[in-house]
Amino acid sequence: MPCRLVEDGGRLVVCDDARAELAGGSLSSVEISARVGRIPRRITFPDGSLFETGENDAIDRFLAHKGRGREGIVHRLERFHPRLIAFVAATLLLGVLVYRVALPALVEVAVAVTPPILPQIMSASTLETMDRTVLGPSKLEEALRGRILNGFRRIAALSEGGEAAYTLNFREGGPVGPNAFALPDGTLILTDELVDLADGDTEMIVGVLAHEIGHVEHKHSLRQIYRAAGVAALIMLIAGDIGSGAEDVLVQGGGLLALSHSRAAEAEADRHSVELMIKAGLDPTAIARFFELLEAKLHDRSKTSIFSTHPGTPERRKAIMDLIAATRRD
Amino acid sequence: MALVESLPAQGIGQDSFGRAAQGNVQRLSFTGSGSEYFGIWIVNILLTIVTLGIYSAWAKVRRNRYFYGNTVLLGRGFEYHATGGQILIGRLIVFAYLILYNVLLTFVPLAGMALLLLLLCFVPWLVARGLRFSARVTSYRNVRFDFVGRAGGAFLAFIVGPVLASLTLGILVPLASRWVYRYIGNNLRYGKKAFSTDPSIGTIYKSWAISAAIIILGLLIIGFVAFLNVAIVVTAMESPDLLPAEMQASLVVLMAIGYVLFFAIFGVAALVYRAGVRNVAWSAATFDGKHRLLSDLSRPRYAWIGISNFVVTLVTLGLMRPWAAVRMARYVNEHTGVRFDGDVGEIFSAIAQEGSAVSAEFMDIEGFDFGF
Repeated sequence: MPCRLVEDGGRLVVCDDARAELAGGSLSSVEISARVGRIPRRITFPDGSLFETGENDAIDRFLAHKGRGREGIVHRLERFHPRLIAFVAATLLLGVLVYRVALPALVEVAVAVTPPILPQIMSASTLETMDRTVLGPSKLEEALRGRILNGFRRIAALSEGGEAAYTLNFREGGPVGPNAFALPDGTLILTDELVDLADGDTEMIVGVLAHEIGHVEHKHSLRQIYRAAGVAALIMLIAGDIGSGAEDVLVQGGGLLALSHSRAAEAEADRHSVELMIKAGLDPTAIARFFELLEAKLHDRSKTSIFSTHPGTPERRKAIMDLIAATRRD
Repeated sequence: MALVESLPAQGIGQDSFGRAAQGNVQRLSFTGSGSEYFGIWIVNILLTIVTLGIYSAWAKVRRNRYFYGNTVLLGRGFEYHATGGQILIGRLIVFAYLILYNVLLTFVPLAGMALLLLLLCFVPWLVARGLRFSARVTSYRNVRFDFVGRAGGAFLAFIVGPVLASLTLGILVPLASRWVYRYIGNNLRYGKKAFSTDPSIGTIYKSWAISAAIIILGLLIIGFVAFLNVAIVVTAMESPDLLPAEMQASLVVLMAIGYVLFFAIFGVAALVYRAGVRNVAWSAATFDGKHRLLSDLSRPRYAWIGISNFVVTLVTLGLMRPWAAVRMARYVNEHTGVRFDGDVGEIFSAIAQEGSAVSAEFMDIEGFDFGF
């Protein structure tokens, strides 16, 4: 109902047109809501009665008069004003800082505190899902498998976790094609198609497996997952509401992103392969031979692009040869 | 009597807002503006970063107060009463539980596994508590909402439902939607009066069928275009040298477009479904057994607003998000209403007389902030 808010001595009083008091209380016992945009202010009296008004400016003047002007500081910052341009610039700058500094730091902390059982659970469920959907049982002959396993044990024994930390699984790739990949707990999967592609060159396959061991040792999958999750979580926390569409894309996109290793991670795993092969007394150029083969058989001559997660094949081969040359010089 | 300022207060409006009233339909409206919200939004982000995330609890309060306060029915806005402190405490409790969980999982893996089972019970409880909190901090005409749902219902609606829906590749999604709307709609209270809803599964499936058709048709079109180009793609794979460079480039662009289209199809289908289910569930809902709620979103229009909002937000690096949020809120509000049975003035004064089921003393100290 229409009424007026007046100050009467030290009290705030609401009265109707006939000046009869409807509610009142001392200024300190009355709750005046903070200003947000143009939404009506609420003045709540000790007895629970409520006075609502759209006259935000008048309330602000009244509060300033009473020495309570500081309560409105957030609203004054929020007002549509050229100052907001500076806020946008500062936000963008800080956003870049968060992405470059805070995110990697958070990822490292998360990797450090991850309970060891977590990667095991994750890997077991991933392998089971892949077995159910795309992968089939291997059709390789026993002798060939034995040769590959021998080479694999040799390099696994020389890696940080030791032989026990890694298990090699043979599978028929199906739609995955010639491929080898590592799950975060040290489970490696090698497809028959890749073995066929190698055409009896066991050392080359071992070189590829050394690359996958590199991914495990550097915890690339875990980092990638945390990175994707961290980006999504930070954006949602900082921006508050970003719309359900953008949220879905972040969550789903983050999942897709987590599946692929970044280019830097690939280069790191390549280096790991070279080092491990040298240590094992095997040919360190094995992984480079694999890229050569890829180039020849699959015509993968693509240059590195921002769309791809793997560096361009010729580029990678060159980087590996350079590394071997440098290692031999030392 | 010292008359410092005389402030006219808003009277209880009895005229109808928005659309012409059919019978006694009162529509919601949204009175906020993009530019006004922009200031609130950017200051929220800036202060959240500067305070290392702590301000986000207060940011949520300001954002919700803005949106609730500008959601107007019969000339009066809704109110959001949560404080930043409540929300911060709620978040800290969840955070502490996660830390405890991780520590136990590291040092005593078995206890950690037991905690995982506990977490399964904990999540529905958290959802129910969060919904109760959200309801209790919301008021309209100085009368609070309340939520009386229990953890069991939350378990069915928010855990069993999504799992069933994904296991059946989306075929049981309507069942899950129905559980969610029934759980929320039948447990919501305003003052001492109850809301109730029972959307029929058949009508939800009608909405679902439209979305399913969009997905199937869209995928068929993408598949057909891909099939037409299969010769070029195969050539590109077998011997890329045969193809001129421009053609290779355009092939990459084509694949990128296909990828975007793929996601757009699912996005449109999801939006169309969401609008359809909302219409069904709201229109099946009543308040106090006689006042009917109503929602008449146009599916294409809702999907268009959702998609264009997303694109505009993306290309402006998020800077147009406030505009997009206000635009969506306005559209949704204007297509939501209540058909009151009787004189609205009398209805609301009766509810106000009864008072709220929850008084301020029974408010939660902690706020698990799950919106609804």
